[in-house]
Amino acid sequence: MNEIANTAALREPCVPGLFSEEEGARLHGARCNCCNTPYFPRVATCRNPSCDESRIVPCTFGGEGNLWSYSVADFPPPPPHRYDQPFVPYAIGVVDLDSGLRVVGQMVDPAEAMQVGARVRLVIEPIHHGDGKAFTSWKFKLL
Amino acid sequence: MQEVVVLGVGMHRFGKTGDAIVGEKSVTELCRHAVDMAMKDAGVSWKQVQAVSAASSRFSGGKGWGLNGNDIVEDFGCTGIPVYNLSAGCAAGGNAFNIGYSLVAGGIHDLVLVVGGEVMPKGMIQTSGVEDANDPEYLRQRCVGMPGPAFWATLARRRIFDYGTTEEQMAKVTVKARKCSESNPFARFQKAVSLDEVLASPYVSNPLRLFEICPVSNGAAAAVICSKEMARRFTSKPITVATSAVATIGFDDALPRSLAGPVPSGPSFHTEAKSAVMKAFERSGIGPRDISFTELQDNTCYYELAFPEEWGLCEPGEAERLLEAGETAPTGRMPINPSGGFVSFGEATTAMGVFQIAELTWQLRGQAGGRQVPDAKVGLAQTNGLGGNATAAILKR
Repeated sequence: MNEIANTAALREPCVPGLFSEEEGARLHGARCNCCNTPYFPRVATCRNPSCDESRIVPCTFGGEGNLWSYSVADFPPPPPHRYDQPFVPYAIGVVDLDSGLRVVGQMVDPAEAMQVGARVRLVIEPIHHGDGKAFTSWKFKLL
Repeated sequence: MQEVVVLGVGMHRFGKTGDAIVGEKSVTELCRHAVDMAMKDAGVSWKQVQAVSAASSRFSGGKGWGLNGNDIVEDFGCTGIPVYNLSAGCAAGGNAFNIGYSLVAGGIHDLVLVVGGEVMPKGMIQTSGVEDANDPEYLRQRCVGMPGPAFWATLARRRIFDYGTTEEQMAKVTVKARKCSESNPFARFQKAVSLDEVLASPYVSNPLRLFEICPVSNGAAAAVICSKEMARRFTSKPITVATSAVATIGFDDALPRSLAGPVPSGPSFHTEAKSAVMKAFERSGIGPRDISFTELQDNTCYYELAFPEEWGLCEPGEAERLLEAGETAPTGRMPINPSGGFVSFGEATTAMGVFQIAELTWQLRGQAGGRQVPDAKVGLAQTNGLGGNATAAILKR
């Protein structure tokens, strides 16, 4: 399984178009140039009711942030969730990226290592495997 | 505006498919029992019902596409009355009550039946079953692997960080809830649990344990409401609806419900719940200090600690102390969920908002037996549901 994970050619996004890893882990989102609200995934128009004019431009988010809180998936969740067998509990973080986006994502490190307030970095890692492929998603790694 | 009263309420005891309580009963059968009881309690016949406001069942019954009220009308006899099917996730029952209330208050109808019931699929509530990359629920499930309880656990974890809440304190909410439900004939769980038993139950989503989150249940609840004018024909002691309010989420809500949101400037979670409760206070002229007791949506113990603070019933960070001092018990200064709450009933999603109206009514009439709040004068009910929906109602005697 690790061999698959480490072979770039066999890595495939679990949902295409949301993120990339070629030039570092990036989430493909947007920002409103009028009110500065960040969005992920991308939106067609600004959803901030206080915004005077919707001026959405594509932008990407990555880099570092703070772990605002976290929880643990202690039981296998129902479909359409997907996970590798046998199920191993994993931590889920709520991260405030320095770029102004609060985003949820699985944590790479084990639950026992989590600390509210910890510094983390956005990474792209396999989230489940199948058909000889490693399906990737964005995750956060403790620094 | 006409003044609106609750004339009668009914419920089918909550249970799980295949057990001795609900067995294999359909949602229509569960609702029939609750409606029948509510009509007898009110002293009205089916022919006197002028409209039905129903929480549209999402998981069961209907004709397979989220319909409930029409099945009830068909079951009791088609009289040609209007049916309103309301869909708002776990807030649907509260929404159905609000529409029923609005119809009577606005003078459109004088007597309306409000009903909600559900037969739930087994296991964790599935927020979305569609495989559609445009659906944020799907993206969260596939890209993050974040089931429903993870949200509650994330908020609970943050509370632990902010206020030093202990896992024992979290567990004591369940101990208190189950103590209440011992004397509730409609609760699914009617046995008290000890602190050790709660702490011995496995984590579902750390830091929340199995006994600290509500399971799914089958159940139904109904209420007959009418104008105060009309109520004189039936009773001398009606329970008055001080107000009913509905709200949705605010843009600045701090909880990312799909994948992401802007980093908020301050803590403001569940803005929909707070907004509904604040609207209810404002419209009724009843403040947090006037409330005798509250029935709130405790999908998890965390909410029993957080919600009263967010609504001004107590100070921020004070809830744990009040819990440990017994002040949130029926006999305390700030009774919360004397029914036993969702933690003791399990959630039959569309029934819950109506279930709360039934409990408020019994409490205000002094008919709540061993869980009775002494001299209960004013009760607050609150639900919230998928999609950022929330409702609040205040009843008084």
